[in-house]
Amino acid sequence: MLVPILGLLAGLALGLLVSFQVPLTYVKYSAIAILAAVDTLLGGVRAQFEGRFDLRVFLSGFAVNTVFAAGLTALGDLLGLDIYLGAVVAFSIRIFNNIGFIRRDLISLVWKTAPLEAGET
Amino acid sequence: MMVRSWQIGLTAVAVVGGFVLAVQVRTEHLIETNLQVTSGRLGEVAYHYRQAEQRQAALRDRLAELRGQIADEEQQAAAGREATAALAASLSEMRTVAGLTPVHGPGVLVVISDSTRPLKPGEDPNLVLVHYSDVHAVVAVLFAGGAEAVAVNGERIVGTTGISCVGTTILANARRLAPPYQIEAIGNPHTLQAAATARGGILDELRAFDFPVTVAAQSDVQLPAYSGTFVHRFAMPLDTGR
Repeated sequence: MLVPILGLLAGLALGLLVSFQVPLTYVKYSAIAILAAVDTLLGGVRAQFEGRFDLRVFLSGFAVNTVFAAGLTALGDLLGLDIYLGAVVAFSIRIFNNIGFIRRDLISLVWKTAPLEAGET
Repeated sequence: MMVRSWQIGLTAVAVVGGFVLAVQVRTEHLIETNLQVTSGRLGEVAYHYRQAEQRQAALRDRLAELRGQIADEEQQAAAGREATAALAASLSEMRTVAGLTPVHGPGVLVVISDSTRPLKPGEDPNLVLVHYSDVHAVVAVLFAGGAEAVAVNGERIVGTTGISCVGTTILANARRLAPPYQIEAIGNPHTLQAAATARGGILDELRAFDFPVTVAAQSDVQLPAYSGTFVHRFAMPLDTGR
């Protein structure tokens, strides 16, 4: 679990150091893509804790989610409709869900007790 | 240690996600510091930007228009200045012609005095005195000889000058003159001298009656300006329809 965290830190450092900028036209889309990436990442972490991690599902989820989120936003722009709000809500809910599960997984990991039943956050 | 697939996947996605996140945060920060709006309102900013650009273009057109106007006005003003200068030059010329400015130049000095001949008993004293008509005649002869400016005893002779007498006093421009009469004229000295001393002329006549008469060419005669006024209460310019 340490390696992915180091990877995250490395990516953050790289992004802060490199003077690359998102073109202003695409800032909206990249923001949604980031949300999708965070969601996928947390989903992967959770799957790993629960011992059902599948690289194909994980990577395809990452790619499809980000691209689809950005595409949905673009479509919303074409229609003059804030469709990206739907993506934001959906991803946010999933992120909170995943964080909740990861938290419980961690708790059970540390105290060696059975995970609590689902239903509480 | 065996590298497991979940580690590779998670790390790769973590690196990419972290990178994009950092770039995004930096870009967003840049937008906020530079434009004071969030990226969500960039469209609005772009709208205002386009509006401002249109206004700027309109203002630029107006500026060019105003610059053109300024150039036009300047040209007109320059033309006006030229006209004013021409008028001023014309006015100055008119004032000189009218005798309102002191003038100098080559000319002649004619001096006539009362006769030195002693009066015979019973003779009219008028015979030995210089009359206003004599002064007038000399002035007229000098003008006829091409004099451009004439003064008698320092009194400038202009177009409205009348030479007359009241009792024993000669008046010019309503100013008293007393002998000897110094008549100065500016013009070609030779021509003026010839005109004044013409045989049978006024000076010839005065000499014949023993009036002391001198005529001298002058290299530089200085005449004062006419100090009186021009009054025209009755004479009005005739409208020639121009």
